[in-house]
Amino acid sequence: MTTLDALQTTLAGEHAALWTYGVLGGRTSQSATPDLFDALTAAHRRHRSRRDQLRSLVEDAGGEPVAAAATYELDGPLLRSTAVQAAALAIEVAGVETLIALVAQSSGAVREWALTEATWSGTWQLELGGAPQTWPGAPELD
Amino acid sequence: MPGRPLSRRTTLGAALAAPAVLAGCDIDPPLDESRSSSATPPPPEDSELVAAVVAALARAQAVLAAATGAVPSLDARLAPVAAAHVEHLDVLAGAVPEAELPTPAPASVPARPRDALTAVRRSEQRLLREVRAGSLTAASGDLARVLASIAASTSQHSAALAEVTP
Repeated sequence: MTTLDALQTTLAGEHAALWTYGVLGGRTSQSATPDLFDALTAAHRRHRSRRDQLRSLVEDAGGEPVAAAATYELDGPLLRSTAVQAAALAIEVAGVETLIALVAQSSGAVREWALTEATWSGTWQLELGGAPQTWPGAPELD
Repeated sequence: MPGRPLSRRTTLGAALAAPAVLAGCDIDPPLDESRSSSATPPPPEDSELVAAVVAALARAQAVLAAATGAVPSLDARLAPVAAAHVEHLDVLAGAVPEAELPTPAPASVPARPRDALTAVRRSEQRLLREVRAGSLTAASGDLARVLASIAASTSQHSAALAEVTP
């Protein structure tokens, strides 16, 4: 796998994450669950900027950025706020895994960017009901 | 499952023995006959870096131990951080020769809970910077990934500690 392949994989994951965050935000009441609403809004903003960054990193690496799919699968109806929070947590858990794979496949500025984003996704899990782990993104070491 | 720690070390040992295969093409591949078991030392370009991160983890552990010694009531809050670093160290120390494993100087931590917690938070932030620097400069992509996971873990534990009120 090349750096470009890893960038494209990460970008494809970000398309799915953004779409899912959009749905999760739409199912979250700002008045009933303000903390969750704020956590989802901040994450959506971060992932949108991440997607834009990845598009230019792919172009810098000489690639054509992969496009988003029209729709993505959701895990269940996500009617309760606990299910919404769990779905958002799952996005960040998967995000760390993809991003540290990009760390392995890159160097220099791309690696630094991927490391910063992986650390953010790991830390944001605590805002989404997650707990600290020993090997975030690297379950084979657990 | 027997031998799990060994297999984890083998993962890192194998990764360190063949960085070019997985890490991209900006470095020279090591000689193939250098690959062996879990005792495989890191490639020369990364061995100092691994030793530095091992020393940083050992230093952070000494601060955690000193904080728990000074303020026993912090033990429940600090034990998960210490346990994570034991695991981190276990994977990395397998790649460092026994003779080069550091013996950190005992840390001194204030006996007031608030100050002890501040000392731990500073120590963990320093560790995060050191592990991050290691990940950014590692020649082996797989080592960079392992260090990135340790950085994310350290950041998670730091965020959890930030919410602790002594």
